[in-house]
Amino acid sequence: MFAALFLGLAGALIAVVYWIVEDTQTAALINVVDADISTINNGYREKGLEEAVEIVRQRLGSLDYSNVDLPGGYILLEDTTHGKLAGNLTSLQPQLGLISLPRPRREHEEHKEKEHRAGEHVDSAGEVKSYPHRRGVVLGKGVYLAEGVYLFVGRDTATIAAARSRILQAFAWLTGATIILAAVGGIVFSVQFLRRIDAIARTCNAIVAGRFNDRIPLRGSDDELDRLARAINTMLDRIAALLDNLRQVSSDVAHDLRTPLTHLRQRLENAHVKSHTMEDYSAAVSQAIADTDQLLAIFTALLRISQIEAGTRMAAFSEVSLSDLLNRIYEMYRPVAEDQGHVLAREVREGVKVRGDAELLTQLFVNVVENALRHTPVGTKIVIALDTSSDAATAKVCDNGPGIAPEDHEKVLRRFYRVATSRSTPGNGLGLALVAAIAKLHQARIELSDNAPGLCVSIVAAVIPRHPRLRGDDEGCHSSTTSSPTTAS
Amino acid sequence: MHAGLACAPTMNILLIEDDLEMAQALIAGFGEQGYLVEHAADGEEGLRLASEQRHQVIVVDRMLPRLDGLTLVKRLRANSVMTPVIYLTTMSGIDDRVHGLEAGGDDYLVKPFAFVELLARVRVLARRPAAQETITRLRAGDLEMDLLQRTLTRGGREIELLPQEFRLLEYLMRNANRVVTRAMLLEKVWDIHFDPQTSVVESHISRLRARLNQGSDTDPIQTIRGTGYKLLA
Repeated sequence: MFAALFLGLAGALIAVVYWIVEDTQTAALINVVDADISTINNGYREKGLEEAVEIVRQRLGSLDYSNVDLPGGYILLEDTTHGKLAGNLTSLQPQLGLISLPRPRREHEEHKEKEHRAGEHVDSAGEVKSYPHRRGVVLGKGVYLAEGVYLFVGRDTATIAAARSRILQAFAWLTGATIILAAVGGIVFSVQFLRRIDAIARTCNAIVAGRFNDRIPLRGSDDELDRLARAINTMLDRIAALLDNLRQVSSDVAHDLRTPLTHLRQRLENAHVKSHTMEDYSAAVSQAIADTDQLLAIFTALLRISQIEAGTRMAAFSEVSLSDLLNRIYEMYRPVAEDQGHVLAREVREGVKVRGDAELLTQLFVNVVENALRHTPVGTKIVIALDTSSDAATAKVCDNGPGIAPEDHEKVLRRFYRVATSRSTPGNGLGLALVAAIAKLHQARIELSDNAPGLCVSIVAAVIPRHPRLRGDDEGCHSSTTSSPTTAS
Repeated sequence: MHAGLACAPTMNILLIEDDLEMAQALIAGFGEQGYLVEHAADGEEGLRLASEQRHQVIVVDRMLPRLDGLTLVKRLRANSVMTPVIYLTTMSGIDDRVHGLEAGGDDYLVKPFAFVELLARVRVLARRPAAQETITRLRAGDLEMDLLQRTLTRGGREIELLPQEFRLLEYLMRNANRVVTRAMLLEKVWDIHFDPQTSVVESHISRLRARLNQGSDTDPIQTIRGTGYKLLA
């Protein structure tokens, strides 16, 4: 396809060169012819017909094929009534203007055929020389020097033809070379291309067959196919990570549900076998109910996470005062913290608003605060802070407890992940996973950092710029802010 | 559990529930409380019975054959049937609750639930007075609350409360002599619709108690073990 296009272009170029060469050579030839005609004409005008005949003879006598001035020159001077006066052509039917004649077979020529074929320039009687084995065209001009005196001067166009043929030859070679190169290159290229496409197809098939760790080999050349292969590999990595995550979650779900189910079953079995009094039964039953509630809590949390991850809540986003929300959580948890021997403090900047779902954001911060309350020893100070930069709100819950090892910072956000030290404390390992899901829904960044000592959980979200109008003070005691409408009458 | 029975008039409850096992358990549970339960197993039947307006409370499942709970409640409200409605549902999504309440429901309970939770909510709904919003003073035992001045006295002695404590006590006083569960308090006082893992309600109740009982040897707030609290009037 491209080879054909290339050949076409090369052909056009060659054609242009061809015409230009022919044009200039023809023009040069006509110049020479004109010069000869004017020399002979001048002789005739000054000294008469004898002189003209003499000049023609001289001119032809000096013909020398090494002389580029006059290669293959032909002159004919004739009297229209008496025939040829001088020249190396047989008499012609006089014609005027630019004429081309078939090159005449000249005297002696037959004898020299062999030498001519060998391509040698043979000087034969100084009069006739043939340009190497050409039977070409003589191009020249015919004029009347006077009434009845006709002059024709011409030149063999063999040189032009030769140039022409050289150009054509060059083109032929070029064409041949191009076709061969294109064919070879095309074959090499497509073989390589197909081989690499096959490699991609093989990898895809391997993945279909269940070998999820297969990847498309890269050549490191960074060409289109390499880039495509890299993109596919990245996609496969992502899918593999998701699959891993899914597998992890399902096995975690199975495992984390199995444990409380086992306890439940054990307890019921014990009650069945060993209980003798109503009190025994009653105690066993309330334990069983507690176990069931724990199971349900896990279900609820998992369901909630997947609902949040589905992202449908985003439609219900509205303006939420993060300041009020954190202040409410502070008021709500201060007594809890005190009862547990913790200190809860706040550094909340007022009037910070974000777009979001108030209920989910409440759950987010409740989970973070409860996480801090549950996993830190008595006497730990927990600070709820809210600050803003130009366009982001940073809400932090920091404690000065034992903290979490940096390598676990990422992991605690996963479902069911519990750091070794917290396995003995209550919790289902879903609290922070829910936090992460809610943060993600709000396009907020969640960062865990070392509070040296302790842990800082930061949520960074885009703020809504403050409205110029004053906020009403809703710090007061608005009772029953639930969405439940109180039915009138 | 029988403490509140003496002063509770016989209640007529409409239960619209297609799960027969569930329905039987609830009928038995309400029956023990001395309540009359009428049962409809599908939405059409439920709508027909509800339109007769003979019930103090309607307990309706969200997912019902022939007519779903949400549409049923919308139709009732459109026909000016204002009987309080509580939904029972397995749908625990936030949207589901919001939609349910927007359709005209009054409360929402996710299955599975403890029967006492449903009982407490039904009692609170059944007793909802007609013109609640005109009340400016609440009285329960020796407690007196001024909702406009936001002041509280016990036996004439003024008691200072934090805003959250005031809201908590207000809810208890509005539902005096009735069991209110922890979940109800979390929803109505703190607008929390999930189950916190720490003892938020207990901590606040203990602070409220400390303030109320200072210089007094009786405690008006009774703890109902495993369920919630009751303010004794």
